[in-house]
Amino acid sequence: MKTLSHTVWRMGALGATLVVATAGASLAQDKSLTIGLTADPSHLYPLAGEELSSNIMYYHLYDPLVARSAELEFGPGLAESWETVNDTTWRFKLREGVTFHNGNAFTASDVVFTVEKARASIRPDLVANIASVTAVDDLTVEITTPKPYAVLPNDLAELLILDEEYTTTTGDEQMDLKPMGTGPYKLEEWIKEERLVLSAFDDYWGGAPRIKTVTFRPITNPATRTAALLTGEVDVVQDLAVRDVDRVRNESGFEVITRPSLLNVVLAMDTRAESPTIEGPNPMVDQRVREAIARAIDVDAINKIVMNGLATPSAQFVPESHLGYVDGMDFRQMYPVDIEKAKALMAEAGFPDGFTMTLDATNNRYVNDAQIAQALASMLAKINVTLNLNIMPKSNFWGYIRVPSDNSSFIMSGWDVPAGDAGSMYAALFYSRDKKEGYGQVNRSSYSNADVDALIDKADSTPDVAERDANLQEATKLLMADIPMIPVHYEQDIYGVREGVMLKPRTDKFLSAFEMDIE
Amino acid sequence: MLGYLLKRLIQMALVLWVVSLVVFLMMSFTGDPVFMIVPIDATDAEIAQARRILGLDQSLPVQYWIFITSLLQGDFGQSYVFRQPAMTLILERMPATIEMVVVAMVLAVVVAIPLGVYAGANPNGRLSRMIMAGSLLGISLPGFWVGMVLIYLFAVHWGIFPSSGRGDTAEVFGLRVSLATWDGWHHIALPAITLSLGTMAILLRMTRAGMMEVARQDYMKFARAKGATRHDVLYKHGLKNALIPVVTIFGLQLGDLIAFATITETIFSWPGMGKLLIDSIYRADRPVIVVYLMLVALIFVVINFLVDIVYTLIDPRITLK
Repeated sequence: MKTLSHTVWRMGALGATLVVATAGASLAQDKSLTIGLTADPSHLYPLAGEELSSNIMYYHLYDPLVARSAELEFGPGLAESWETVNDTTWRFKLREGVTFHNGNAFTASDVVFTVEKARASIRPDLVANIASVTAVDDLTVEITTPKPYAVLPNDLAELLILDEEYTTTTGDEQMDLKPMGTGPYKLEEWIKEERLVLSAFDDYWGGAPRIKTVTFRPITNPATRTAALLTGEVDVVQDLAVRDVDRVRNESGFEVITRPSLLNVVLAMDTRAESPTIEGPNPMVDQRVREAIARAIDVDAINKIVMNGLATPSAQFVPESHLGYVDGMDFRQMYPVDIEKAKALMAEAGFPDGFTMTLDATNNRYVNDAQIAQALASMLAKINVTLNLNIMPKSNFWGYIRVPSDNSSFIMSGWDVPAGDAGSMYAALFYSRDKKEGYGQVNRSSYSNADVDALIDKADSTPDVAERDANLQEATKLLMADIPMIPVHYEQDIYGVREGVMLKPRTDKFLSAFEMDIE
Repeated sequence: MLGYLLKRLIQMALVLWVVSLVVFLMMSFTGDPVFMIVPIDATDAEIAQARRILGLDQSLPVQYWIFITSLLQGDFGQSYVFRQPAMTLILERMPATIEMVVVAMVLAVVVAIPLGVYAGANPNGRLSRMIMAGSLLGISLPGFWVGMVLIYLFAVHWGIFPSSGRGDTAEVFGLRVSLATWDGWHHIALPAITLSLGTMAILLRMTRAGMMEVARQDYMKFARAKGATRHDVLYKHGLKNALIPVVTIFGLQLGDLIAFATITETIFSWPGMGKLLIDSIYRADRPVIVVYLMLVALIFVVINFLVDIVYTLIDPRITLK
């Protein structure tokens, strides 16, 4: 009896050794990666909402028709090629032989379904520039736009294609927990707030992913994120805290990777005759006052003192990669810091004694946002503009400043256009209010310039990208001269990685394990 | 006893109702949740559509009425942000929190009671003074600081414990439990210690004060004169009489830690429910906040009820009416 149990025990031990050995072997073959994110995703269903962590997951699990590269170039995704049939009709040839993770074939009807599903969801904005979509055959769809729209492919890079059959039977609520796409990774396990594990989809049309298992861990506290990187619990961290940058740089075996983000922090100045927080007539109606304010703001000082040098002063309203960017034009060179000149401009405009107004800003949305607001107050004090600070959390902010901005004169917020095109930003922020549906809805300056409106209209009515670019560039020149808004800086995206992990950060901030590798 | 129970139940229903009302009213000041969900450049039509989908197009009293009537049918509403049932969101995160709190509370009691009794029995000893000084630190050091120092020392510097996360778990009665695995213990140690320090210090000081009070009583001298050992006098006669305030504080602390372990959870990225509350407040996710705070109220009511029962066990002179 005794010998028997002994043998059993030994066999068990042998089995255990075997298991360990195979686990070790497969580990050597299969690359795996753990990534520390700032937050757990809220969703895995692309039509349920958007925020960064969810977006990152969406692009692992699903694919759009048009792929957006790390550098904001647009190329074939689930659509192999496309052509314009006439000014408002586009024909997309879909990729053959693509399957969803459940084995369902990807066809034109899935595209039609996705567009219609999006229209009724919480994200109708995804298909705002699509009038109709029809399946010509199994692998061809025709999309019409309400008016000529040159950058439809850019928009389509944000529309992730759902499996019609699966999505219909699963239902919206469960789609958030059991995603099913064509993307390079499929969901293995999601324990809320603890970890989300993706495994490679080896039949991926773009080739089998190099990294086989990716684990995302939500680590909200920045210092803990750094600690988890240094202890080797994670291989990559997103948003490395500014104060930990030097620490990680100096540690051997770790690297800090930075790149300017797309998020442009901007200051909107009210241009109405009367402004909610200013007594008497609104001085900012006068371009000279707006220029004086621009000249009083020392963006380099903000960068040095508030941002630890980890910001990139903005030259224009959109970065260089975008349509509408004018080569060589730089807001900082047009309006360099010059307090004397600014004071003179104020006097010329009839406000030598300055005025008082309120700045609305957030304290938990942008990097060091509250400190930036404080710095602005002390800078504007030099030209006798007294800035009262009205700082609030983002949950209050967006509703508070919402157009018609009945409470605001001066607003600090951020804007990014991952679609690589200034058009949508200009249409939302600078087009005259209440003139056209879908235009000027976020025009916080109440800015109105018929020439700018006309240029945006022209840009939005040509099917030709070059012509759109030219019109938007003209608009940029007018806006830079007129200054309805002051561009401040782009935040820096900062990643910490362990040595051997190859990470090239994406402009849109969407970490992609498919694009990474391990040595 | 039955009358007492009934009274307690009615009280509880009343408390829960008031909590729901207050939270509902409060949340109308914290901003419009729809702006946390729609893209920043959404048009009015898109915002209206989102509002309709979330049920935010109704007036506040109507929303409250819908909330209360569905609640009575067992439907606690859906999170605006997650689009999942609010109760599910909370319950799936609850076991991790409870587990951490239980470990922290056990740790606090095991350390605090003996040290408190010792310090109370020997108020002028050198060791007692050291214990009391230590307890002052425990009360005054903020949890987030202690947590960060522990992570720096034990995880980054010495590499003894992991910095964050929950580690391996095993299923026990369908629940995922860390305490069933070595790796789980390894992960729970630092957060549990961080969480326990404050409570440990308070319990210790309460025990000491109670013991000093009791030590002057005649029955203590009498017990000693009767020939009971010093240990028996302290723990059987003394501690039992000093325990009533300690149990009260224990109950309050227990509820407090379960409900608001947020800071410790955030620092150690422990996947508990406290973080959900903070995130929901930031995102103005009213359904989750209401259900969460109602649940917290329920936990407090239940704990207080249990504390009352424990009173009668410790001191038979107390009866529940």
